[in-house]
Amino acid sequence: MLPDELKLKLEKMISDAESPREKAIDVMFEIQELQGWMSDEAMVEAAGLLGMTPLELEELATFYDYIYRSPVGKYVIKVCDSTVCWLEGHQSIIDYISARAGVPMGGTSPDGLFTLLPVCCIGYCDRAPAMVINKRVYGKLTPEKIDRILDKLANSAEFHESE
Amino acid sequence: MPRLIIDDLEVDVPKGSKVIDAAERLGIMIPRFCYHEALGSVGACRMCAVKFIQGPFKGVQMSCMIDAQDGMVVSTTDEEAVQFRQRVIELLMMNHPLDCPVCDEGGQCLLQDETVSGGHAIRRYRGKKRTYRDQYLGPYIQHEMNRCIHCYRCSRYYQEFSGYRDLGPLQIGDRMFFGRFSDGKLESPFSGNLVDICPTGVYTDKTARFKVRRWDLHRAPSLCNHCPLGCNTIANAHYRGVMRVEARYNQDVNGYFICDAGRFGFSYSNGGALHEKRPWTPRIQGSDVSAKAAIAKAREDLDNVAEKYGPGAIAAVGSARNSLESQCMLGKICRTRGWRGPVFFTDPAKLRKTRSALERLDGDIAVSLREIENADFIVIAGADPLNEAGMAALAVRQASRKQAPIVTIDPRPLFLPCDFDHIPAAPGKIELYLGMLISAALAKDSTGFGKEAVDFYSALVAEKGKSEVPAGIFSLAERLGASQRPVIICGTDVTRETTPSFTADCVRLLRLAGKQAGLFYLLPGAGSFSSALLSGTDGEAFGDLIGDIENGLIKALVVVESDPFHYYPDRVRLERAMESLELVVAIDYFPSSTVSRASIFYPASTIFETGATYVNQEGRAQFARPVHHGGVPVWGGEHPPRVYSNSIPGGDHLPAWKALWEIAGSTPDTGAADISPGEFIPAEHAAFEAFGSDNYPVDGIRVLQGKAGLTGNWNSRIEESSQRPENAEPLELLMVEWMFGTTEFSAWSDSLASAIAEPYMSMNSKDACRAGVCDGDRVSLELDNGTIEIKVSVSDRAAEGVLVIPRHQSLDWRKMKDFSVRVLPGKIRKI
Ligand code: SF4
Ligand code: SF4
Ligand code: FES
Repeated sequence: MLPDELKLKLEKMISDAESPREKAIDVMFEIQELQGWMSDEAMVEAAGLLGMTPLELEELATFYDYIYRSPVGKYVIKVCDSTVCWLEGHQSIIDYISARAGVPMGGTSPDGLFTLLPVCCIGYCDRAPAMVINKRVYGKLTPEKIDRILDKLANSAEFHESE
Repeated sequence: MPRLIIDDLEVDVPKGSKVIDAAERLGIMIPRFCYHEALGSVGACRMCAVKFIQGPFKGVQMSCMIDAQDGMVVSTTDEEAVQFRQRVIELLMMNHPLDCPVCDEGGQCLLQDETVSGGHAIRRYRGKKRTYRDQYLGPYIQHEMNRCIHCYRCSRYYQEFSGYRDLGPLQIGDRMFFGRFSDGKLESPFSGNLVDICPTGVYTDKTARFKVRRWDLHRAPSLCNHCPLGCNTIANAHYRGVMRVEARYNQDVNGYFICDAGRFGFSYSNGGALHEKRPWTPRIQGSDVSAKAAIAKAREDLDNVAEKYGPGAIAAVGSARNSLESQCMLGKICRTRGWRGPVFFTDPAKLRKTRSALERLDGDIAVSLREIENADFIVIAGADPLNEAGMAALAVRQASRKQAPIVTIDPRPLFLPCDFDHIPAAPGKIELYLGMLISAALAKDSTGFGKEAVDFYSALVAEKGKSEVPAGIFSLAERLGASQRPVIICGTDVTRETTPSFTADCVRLLRLAGKQAGLFYLLPGAGSFSSALLSGTDGEAFGDLIGDIENGLIKALVVVESDPFHYYPDRVRLERAMESLELVVAIDYFPSSTVSRASIFYPASTIFETGATYVNQEGRAQFARPVHHGGVPVWGGEHPPRVYSNSIPGGDHLPAWKALWEIAGSTPDTGAADISPGEFIPAEHAAFEAFGSDNYPVDGIRVLQGKAGLTGNWNSRIEESSQRPENAEPLELLMVEWMFGTTEFSAWSDSLASAIAEPYMSMNSKDACRAGVCDGDRVSLELDNGTIEIKVSVSDRAAEGVLVIPRHQSLDWRKMKDFSVRVLPGKIRKI
């Protein structure tokens, strides 16, 4: 069940839109912001608010990388999975993060802090290899830089909000 | 007409045709997966590549994406194109399981065919294959996602074409999945078409799963006889059982598709474990006898009754389930023998309604389903296309997809798989609102109509002032006024007797105003068109006979493919009347209540076994060929009897018309002489004069050519126009059809059981308030012959003043006592 406050907000958002459907992604982002991911229940409820069927919303949700249909860690590390990063050694970056944070690709670390996923080109090719963590992009990755970023994230829950 | 050259052959095609279609006209079948004429092009599979040599396009291009144009020169055999297609099929096969031998699609699989024709034989890919978890999609469709090649046909059909929203494309890239949000029964009552449309084995017919290989099937062009549309099908039989039914293309009737009732509603015709109910053997007073004995006894007993009381004491009862052959034979026998009847309808009012509809229908004004798809405005008056004739709802959707406004004027809170405006109207108000719509639409050009038309028109306009005006009707009228090809679909179930001809007059008026207006009636059954024609102007219905059975004027009934117990609203009275008869001869393939009461029973063959002719609601006569001989199936259930004989167990029965002929037609002089339909059908009605053999054109032939709809009196009138129902006024009880659960076919086809929903009664919220019930309540409803219990669904979209209940097989609605019944709100009690 969505909290009433959020529900009111979403209803307002939807009724302000020209057609409810156009708010589908925003609605899912709002819910995700609060709950971290889109559970089946949240999907059904959101679809109801949007006048869509759960299937129709699922078509969108599963199309986009940034909507999570299973629980993710506090920080979602997305390593760029496109040509320039491949050339610049993205596999070793993945291996390093995996080992360091204890997460296999597609998995979440036991402490629930990190989830590791691939992402298609994020347009940071000039600074490959690159990754995105939550809403922040990091380029020219090296093991040392990764250590610094992950340490900082682990030590400070508010890290990315304050950046 | 663009003219182009494909593989050195010249072809002219209509403008807008794709190159892939142009090639098909030449008999060149370019390989394809995603392209389908009914669904259009998307260019998803890349399989239809051809080489464009001259013209506006050059090089290898997708033939399904490019419109045929003048001067094009195209090669389908060019080496580059051939190699392209070979690579595409290799790519599409990359993840595909190599297990055709265990796939139910094997032998009828486009992917199989095109892999072979594309020349791909050796897999080079050595990586891991992508695999999926399949979903449960309900009792009809088996899901096997590993076989998917991502052509998008299923989701385009399911969502775009048929308008349902619970199956679609999910995920991206290599994870692309076609299915539902979660496991569950597909919501669409047209889901079976997925089986036909998927070019691979992702969706297969679950009811036929692992039973038979395509090449072992007997296949024959058949017809659906579940509703008046007469959709074209292919029946598939094996080992004396019908295994499955597929859609057969007919451009004027069903196009490429059929509904699930038609596809899965065949199991009544099979015997075996699930369907042991089909009566296979002739019976006299409940004991099995030989066919010969049953026929001889029926003959003798009928002769006795005729001798004792006169031939008029024998009445013949047919139905809308009868084939044209049965109906004409019934007519012939009654005429020559002096029997009463035949009656085909149960409710006399419905007979009159259907007849008055047919009086106004002619080859000009009647439209086919295809023409509905091309209509630019559709009014649905007193009809529920989805439940009364499934494919009509899909035709309406196609018009709606082309922006045609759809208006329903009906007492039921209708559902259609498209956008539509609903005007709730009690049966007595349908004509009023329809008239309002038409008169408002034509306001400006009423001149030049001719005197009678003007009178009719003026009456419509005058009527308008007398009542409240449904919201939105004028803006709809404006759009109707601007339309070119409006169609009115008019029902014969919940409408008043005058409504069909009133609707015909409205269509006529639209035509006088210069529109290509068309008329489409929904009639009450596959054989109702011909039965209404054959009933003549003074014909009776079963309801007219019952009094004479009670007072002893009728002593014997010959009931052919008919079950009055299914349709007659007073079960108690009917039971008593049937008991008072001296003789009931029943010929049928259903184990109906009438059959179990018959003194003499003869098992008739089904449409699958001996074929049949049906005339659909637009007057199109079509022939279903027999697909197999029939008989107790050898699979499932018990082993057929282990006795030596020359005949197939349970397979020696005749079509009903022939059995009837042997019982009552041939005289001792002629012996049991053979007679063929061509010898007796033409004499029964002028419309069937040309009936010669079963060699109909593929698309059937229209039997009505006259101009009936455009002549005759403008005699229809608007009934019970104005006032709202008073507070204590009784509610009109409307009994209606559902696609699943109300027909005889659904009563006797186990395969439809899982599609049947729980019955509920619809009523308007004001009426519900008055009766003190709420949405979702269970109520008891007191009828003349007892009470029934039912769930209530309250909606503002239901008309005020009516209660709508399905003639559901799990409801004891035959306590109504009369065909038309009114109920005081006080008789509805919450329980
Ligand atoms: S399931 Fe069948 S129809 Fe649907 S995309 Fe896959 S192959 Fe095509
Ligand atoms: S629409 Fe009618 S005729 Fe067509 S398949 Fe369905 S029940 Fe049969
Ligand atoms: S049929 Fe042309 S791309 Fe699929």
